[in-house]
Amino acid sequence: MSAAQAERYDKQGDIPDAERVKRAMQNFVRDFGRSAAIYMESCVHCGNCAEACHFYATTNDPKYTPIWKIEPFKQAYKREYGPFAWFYRALNLKSAVTVERLEEWQELIYDSCTVCGRCSLICPMGIDIASLVSLARHGMAKAGLVPHELWAVAERGEKEGSPLGATPKVFKDRLEWLADDYEVEIPLDKTRADVLCTMSSIEIMKYPESIVATAKIMKHVGADWTFRLDGYEATNFGLLSGDADWQRDMSMKLIDAAIACGAKTLVLPECGHAYGALRWMGANIYGKPLPFRVVHIAEFMAEHVKSGKLKLKKVGKSVTFHDPCQIARRGGAIEAPREVLRALGVELREMEPTKGLNWCCGGGGGVVTIHRADALRHRVFQLKMNQIDETGAELPVTSCSNCRQTFDDGQAHFKWDKTMNSLLEMVANNLEGEAA
Amino acid sequence: MKGESMRNDEREITLGEYLAARGVSRRAFLKFACSLASLMALPPSAGIAMAEALAKAKRPSVLWFPFQECTGCTESITRSHEPTIESMIFDMISLDYHETLMAAAGHQSEAAREQAMKDHYGKYLLLIDGSVATGLDGAYSCIGGQTNLSWLTEAAKGAAAIIAIGSCASYGGIPKANPNPTGARAVSDIVKDKPIVNIPGCPPIPAVLTGVLAHFLTFGSLPELDPLGRPKAFYGETIHDRCYRRPFYDQGRFAKTFDDEGARNGWCLYELGCKGPVTYNACATIKWNAGTSFPIQSGHGCLGCSEPDFWDKGSFYRPLSVAHWGNKATLGGAAAVGVALGAAAALAARRRQDKIVKGD
Amino acid sequence: MDLLIFARGPGMYWAVTIFVIGVLWKLAGVILLRAKRDLSEARKPSAWTGLRAILTRSWPRRAFVHGTAFSEVLGYAFHVGFLFTLVFYLPHVLFFEDMFKGLLGVNFQRLFGVSWPYFSGGMVSFFGAVAVAALIALLVHRIVNPVKRLISNFDDYFSWLVTIAPLVTGMLAYGHVGAPYQTLIAVHLLSVELLLVWFPFGKLMHTFTVFMSRGTQGMQFERKGATL
Repeated sequence: MSAAQAERYDKQGDIPDAERVKRAMQNFVRDFGRSAAIYMESCVHCGNCAEACHFYATTNDPKYTPIWKIEPFKQAYKREYGPFAWFYRALNLKSAVTVERLEEWQELIYDSCTVCGRCSLICPMGIDIASLVSLARHGMAKAGLVPHELWAVAERGEKEGSPLGATPKVFKDRLEWLADDYEVEIPLDKTRADVLCTMSSIEIMKYPESIVATAKIMKHVGADWTFRLDGYEATNFGLLSGDADWQRDMSMKLIDAAIACGAKTLVLPECGHAYGALRWMGANIYGKPLPFRVVHIAEFMAEHVKSGKLKLKKVGKSVTFHDPCQIARRGGAIEAPREVLRALGVELREMEPTKGLNWCCGGGGGVVTIHRADALRHRVFQLKMNQIDETGAELPVTSCSNCRQTFDDGQAHFKWDKTMNSLLEMVANNLEGEAA
Repeated sequence: MKGESMRNDEREITLGEYLAARGVSRRAFLKFACSLASLMALPPSAGIAMAEALAKAKRPSVLWFPFQECTGCTESITRSHEPTIESMIFDMISLDYHETLMAAAGHQSEAAREQAMKDHYGKYLLLIDGSVATGLDGAYSCIGGQTNLSWLTEAAKGAAAIIAIGSCASYGGIPKANPNPTGARAVSDIVKDKPIVNIPGCPPIPAVLTGVLAHFLTFGSLPELDPLGRPKAFYGETIHDRCYRRPFYDQGRFAKTFDDEGARNGWCLYELGCKGPVTYNACATIKWNAGTSFPIQSGHGCLGCSEPDFWDKGSFYRPLSVAHWGNKATLGGAAAVGVALGAAAALAARRRQDKIVKGD
Repeated sequence: MDLLIFARGPGMYWAVTIFVIGVLWKLAGVILLRAKRDLSEARKPSAWTGLRAILTRSWPRRAFVHGTAFSEVLGYAFHVGFLFTLVFYLPHVLFFEDMFKGLLGVNFQRLFGVSWPYFSGGMVSFFGAVAVAALIALLVHRIVNPVKRLISNFDDYFSWLVTIAPLVTGMLAYGHVGAPYQTLIAVHLLSVELLLVWFPFGKLMHTFTVFMSRGTQGMQFERKGATL
């Protein structure tokens, strides 16, 4: 990364600095409440969070200390909204946030945080640092201080319906040629269906076999399912960039589509943050409990393994599973992929650490879109390569296409001898009674 | 016997002759002088010097003024089951004027006082016990129609030195206790231009006065004093530092009531309010009644009576470490105030949040 | 000794009062902020089990031990040493028992049937020394370790100072070292009063917030089945 790149502070819009700061503070505060305040009051500056963070672990640069990433916002909370805020302002105990500080912090809030949540687990005070980074991004987004590529794909997602150009038209076309090429039925826009399936643009554009895999599995288990053009995009770059309004728009599309076709279950694809966005944040955006279940495709498969409807051939290979942060550690769906792998009869070799404590791939949280962060992300990736190599497993498998994309990029960069596999595709390729 | 007045123009006998006349052998006298010297941490040679000087000492002119006092100090110093050398010395020296003890009274005693002050101007020792009342211009305590205050200020002018005996004279004592209705003050509050020795205690230990007088008679000066004007030889250490029950304090063995197992075992009395750690006096070493005992040894905590304002420092039975934290009402009030302020702050924060959400 | 009279009297009174006002102000000011209900469908039927985080977060998960053991061990050495000296030394016990009686109207021993235990001055001094040694080691770490050095501010250093002062002055008073006992005790009390007055305004509030933040994370994560 060149010095020029390092010095780059991306800005969106032509707004005076004072206005930027004002919007940053407003939008930081807009969505926070008691738990965020409790978290920000509790930090004792022990520095343990750095030990959990892959960015710190691979660089030893103290600026990547997780709680430091939100420092301007933590100070702003104390100065503007804490119980002693009046004192802080009257005695100027903490200076007001400046735009320069926010610019300086852009790199810490975006380039070097995948919101993986390991820091939240190591914190002796139990502070959910990862959630505070997401909250800080709310401020940065409305202030127009997002790294440019991330902002660009988010805007594209808001305006075109997909961050990567998988517009409804493109999606429809893809479904048609995939159905054709693979001779598989892919229902679209049914007015009534039990299951609404969704995809991520990463799969639509880069791993279209995932769509075929989904269709095959749905058929295999006899589900009454559909895709819908009014709600298919599971990624949420509003969430990743921090634009809360875009996040809402993107989630509401899926919710409205599910309601429109009376779905009882909404299946999220192999995507990490999509799970957090809809499974856990969806209802709160909707304003009331969702009238349907939300499951990750891995959970869907696990349920059907249990019920006996998903019958799998045995794969006699050794496998290690990379836990996508938002699905496993943050999302709670830790055992589901393993139940599926057990049904596949693989020899499962766990990494060290694994499950909820596994290391992040380094590409989540929008980081993979930020090119000035590539070098940093590659350093982090070495952690994953070492972890996986040490298991001696033949096949690394995961259930998030962004992780998969990060692994593919890392594999190319380091000329690694291992390719990441999709759990979904592995299942689809090993359905009993069907050709792969 | 006590207080037999001797007029100045009679042949003055020395202290040695006086004691010999009362059956005190030279050997006993030497022993007394040496023990006095060692009490004051003076070298052995000083004991002999003291004996020689005291033996030859002419009776110094001493005026003893009792002010706002209970006479306990006088009782302590002069009362004994058998006459001690100390009491005999006092007999000898405190002859020019002792309000309480002298046989004469009324105008005759006042005339004696004025004569002594005139005859020995600049050389007499002034011994004061009791506090000086200053309220109502001193009217609260008068002798012969004259206030103690005016007596003091007048007599101080011709005094070589002043010895304030007892806590009342040294610090104001019990009369000074809150709300101090008589305006009681210490001698040192009134007299600023003469050497003053404070011998606090309620009452003080007799040997202390003896030691101070012996020092004065021997060396012509007052012994080394601490910042509160007390002779360091006797007030240089706390009761706690010399208390025989100190090992129990360190071991964590404390009596919880006056008759529990700990009390019967003679354990430390800290929990029962002993003020030993903050009280400077010689009670734990010299003890009382010719070394018989002292309060702690008798099972009661030290009251701290040789320290200023000991009466106003809280209950004698409240342990030293129990500081004034308030009470249920004040803490309850503080809690209510805290919650109210917190609620107000939260309300302000919520309002700001609402304003932002609406304004967006 | 006027200083001691002040320290045992109005000094302590106002310090305790300010402590109570400040702590409740801080806690109420945070607890009464808007709390958002989580409307998502919980994975676990009850999130209350998440409160176990209050206990379990007291020691790092195995994967994290290597990087944090030093701070954790020293932190415990300090906390245990400090609490031992505070709670098991008779002069302190008497202060708390008096407060207990004053606030609840009943004797501690009468209520619980056992009297509050206490240990010898020697034992207490040992634990005090452990606490002081740990604090010094932690300060050195804070200054030398790049992460801690970067994120540390006035609050960290001042809180350290007001915490070590009562320990050091207490031990000096116990040993009658360096000044007349009354002075040492007065200084010790004043150092405690400084601690009390500073308490609500700095990171010492973690004494209370630790339960709140661990509990919050515990419940939020438990309902999702997220790793805790």
